[in-house]
Amino acid sequence: MRKFTIPTWCTIGWLGFVIFLAIFGSLLPFRPWEYVYEDSLGVAPFSPGHLLGTDTNGYDLLSSVVNGARLSLFISITAVGIGGFIGAILGITAAYVRGKLDTVMVTLFNVALSVPNLVLALALVSVLATNIDVNNPVPTWRRVVVLTAALTIVLIPILGRIARAATLSWTNREFVVAARSMGMRDRNIIARHIVPNVLPALIAVGFLAIGVVIIAEASLSLLGVGVPDGASWGGMIARGRNDLEYSPHVLYVPLAFLALTVISTNHLGDVLRSSLDRRESKL
Amino acid sequence: MSLLSIKDLSISFDTPRGMLEAVRHADLEVPAGTSVGIVGESGSGKTVMSRAAMGLLQGSNVHRSGTVVFDGHDLTAMTRVGVREYFGTGMAMIFQDPMTALNPVRRIGSQISEGLRVRLGMDKRKAMARSEELLTLVHIPDPGTTLHKFPYQLSGGMRQRVMIAIAIACEPKLLFADEPTTALDVTVQAQILQLLGDLRRDLGMSMVLVTHDLGVVAGNTDIVAVMYAGEIVEQAPTKSLFANMRMPYTEALLKSIPKMDMPSGKRLQVIEGRLPDPTDRPVGCGFAARCMYVQPKCHAEHPPLIHDGDGHLYRCWFPLGKK
Repeated sequence: MRKFTIPTWCTIGWLGFVIFLAIFGSLLPFRPWEYVYEDSLGVAPFSPGHLLGTDTNGYDLLSSVVNGARLSLFISITAVGIGGFIGAILGITAAYVRGKLDTVMVTLFNVALSVPNLVLALALVSVLATNIDVNNPVPTWRRVVVLTAALTIVLIPILGRIARAATLSWTNREFVVAARSMGMRDRNIIARHIVPNVLPALIAVGFLAIGVVIIAEASLSLLGVGVPDGASWGGMIARGRNDLEYSPHVLYVPLAFLALTVISTNHLGDVLRSSLDRRESKL
Repeated sequence: MSLLSIKDLSISFDTPRGMLEAVRHADLEVPAGTSVGIVGESGSGKTVMSRAAMGLLQGSNVHRSGTVVFDGHDLTAMTRVGVREYFGTGMAMIFQDPMTALNPVRRIGSQISEGLRVRLGMDKRKAMARSEELLTLVHIPDPGTTLHKFPYQLSGGMRQRVMIAIAIACEPKLLFADEPTTALDVTVQAQILQLLGDLRRDLGMSMVLVTHDLGVVAGNTDIVAVMYAGEIVEQAPTKSLFANMRMPYTEALLKSIPKMDMPSGKRLQVIEGRLPDPTDRPVGCGFAARCMYVQPKCHAEHPPLIHDGDGHLYRCWFPLGKK
């Protein structure tokens, strides 16, 4: 195993910490993030009882940020996972089969990519998960599902195109012809020869995509179509911007978590990709 | 009856520069139990012909005509799925470059046993045991460890042996060896050829040996077909080909091999010029522009394939050794 550099270890550590919070956050000895501390509004970080302070409504920021980690990571990892899976199936099949199927698929990908991501997600969420009647809002779970689905749909062509490009560079390799000359079925060749070679590239891009999705979710929250009640990091930022003048830490805390996480996934994606390039050049 | 019989096989590719005729009206018979050599310089169509015989050329830009009959079955009339039945168990191929013909991310063992499991229906343990035997058969030291290695951990000669092990795994009746020694150095080359010869004898396989090296052909084949510009220009039993060659191209090929007893300082004889443009073949003999014995007729008319008795065929208006 190659030794990682110190920044890489830092990003791995940070991501591990955030994932730990997301999974075991509910077991930590905090009050739920919705609990309102009536007597300590807008308390600065590092005050007794509130490590990261509270916002002007009396919500504890540490508790909120832990809860936000769960939502933000759930949405982004699910979207990248499902989007990557569907995208990989479409992209690899298209590149392996070529011909008409490939042409149709590439056209579909390009059409989907020509719509700005955020606008597409915004349209999907606002059509599927909003209600004109203010007194009868859509349930939170539905918002989360639609939001995740919208981001997944945005990701399919992005990851699918990468899967297709990677597959194209492998389908004409000699060992694929060799496998065919042994009488392998196409699905065996794809599963055993193509996928193991394409997967590393997809995982590297997947890491980058997680960062992108976290940002996209935050952007949607800022536009008012994110997770209701501002529970995700993006939602916290959206709420916190009103407090910027009097207690800026309300904005900075979720912002710091979000920035560090996105930087970490980007860095890790880059490290994976460059180690992949090195492996490629060895062949 | 011949094990493999190629009749009037033509392969052309649609390219942006026009139709590229890689193989033109080739006929080749591989009798059961024999070894047939296909010789020619780079770009003469040897590899394309052997791949086409196995139906490995795919794509909308490939045009094929003629028939390939294997063991009494017309492969050209079958679907892609139908032909698959004969791959691995009927015919198998050793590829030119052992560096690219193995999957870099999978262990040797799983690559060898793949064919055994899919084609012969062996379970995993049995296939692995057989893979180890196969590695022993191709003289790989310490086969048990090699099974768990990745291709990059092996040298070129070892990888070529692994390739051979994969190809012979399902005991094919016919083995295509597409320049099996080109990527290897000379000592390893001799070992690999020796190995192929032994395996062929022990397993009773027929072989089609594709190479650009007449020296390799001389010691390892029964019949030789010389290809030039997509055509078979001379074909004969190996002994009679070397004894009395008819085609000036074959002679030129033989003369351009460096010899041990050549006086030092003497220049190596080469064939001047290059292959004709495959998208724009000349009207007459393809070799006319480079031939030492060229006559006006060679440029004007395309020579037919002439049968000379004893299975000696050639394509020349003014064959050597004939008046």
